[in-house]
Amino acid sequence: MKRFIVAFIAAFIFIFFWGWLYNGVLLKDVLTEAQSLFRPLEETMGLFHWIVIGQAGLALAFVMIYASGFAGGGIAAGVRLGIMLEILAVSARCIIYATQPFPVKLLVLVSIGGFIEMIVTGVIVGAIYKPAPAQMP
Amino acid sequence: MNWKKFFIAFIVAFVFLFVFGFLWYGKLMHGAHQKVPTLWRTEAEFGNHVPWLVLGHLVMAFFLTMLYAQFVRAGGAGAGATLGILVALVYAGADLITFAVQPLTTKIVGGWIVGDLIQFAIAGAIIGAIYKPSSLKTT
Repeated sequence: MKRFIVAFIAAFIFIFFWGWLYNGVLLKDVLTEAQSLFRPLEETMGLFHWIVIGQAGLALAFVMIYASGFAGGGIAAGVRLGIMLEILAVSARCIIYATQPFPVKLLVLVSIGGFIEMIVTGVIVGAIYKPAPAQMP
Repeated sequence: MNWKKFFIAFIVAFVFLFVFGFLWYGKLMHGAHQKVPTLWRTEAEFGNHVPWLVLGHLVMAFFLTMLYAQFVRAGGAGAGATLGILVALVYAGADLITFAVQPLTTKIVGGWIVGDLIQFAIAGAIIGAIYKPSSLKTT
């Protein structure tokens, strides 16, 4: 349980800072090109706690999936889980692209950032979380 | 990997995800979505982008089945539903982040999260009920 909590906190911290750096700083100009689809910055700042809760939920779900089926595989299993979850996120972006007029460039760049985010999260979780050793009767 | 069972589970999951998505997000939530019409493509524009909708659901069903087959393997419908709920929580996290940055109403984001949970729990249960690993060979 201790390793589960440590893995969750480490994954959350990384997802938070990566989200800020990639989406908030590096993609700032690209996001501005689709400004009509986003809230004004002041409004988003007023809802910032939902970003934090969403990222914490994402990190928690990642560690729970890893712990329930991937644990024991180490970093490689964490990376594989990260890649699979990001492919699932890309599939959702295809559906979003069909329904919302996002520029392709933006969705591609967000997906590249998503792959980096999920792969590194997989490395972090795979390196930290270890299943409890089986107890002898 | 039992590819025959995998393929059947993938196809059934795809059909379910697509039909559920159409009913839940396209029909049941249509009124809620229309509260923010500027966010969506027009009907004509959407018609030209339907292949992306189909592709998205195909990839979603394929990798949900792959996730189950590689890491849950033989847990049955219950284990599949559990995996589906955990995957839905990943999507729910993304939905909350989207709510903070896009002008969605609370009704829309709530509907998306509930829809994700139902959709992935059932899709996971379907995959878990269908997919069985190849039987182990004894020497």
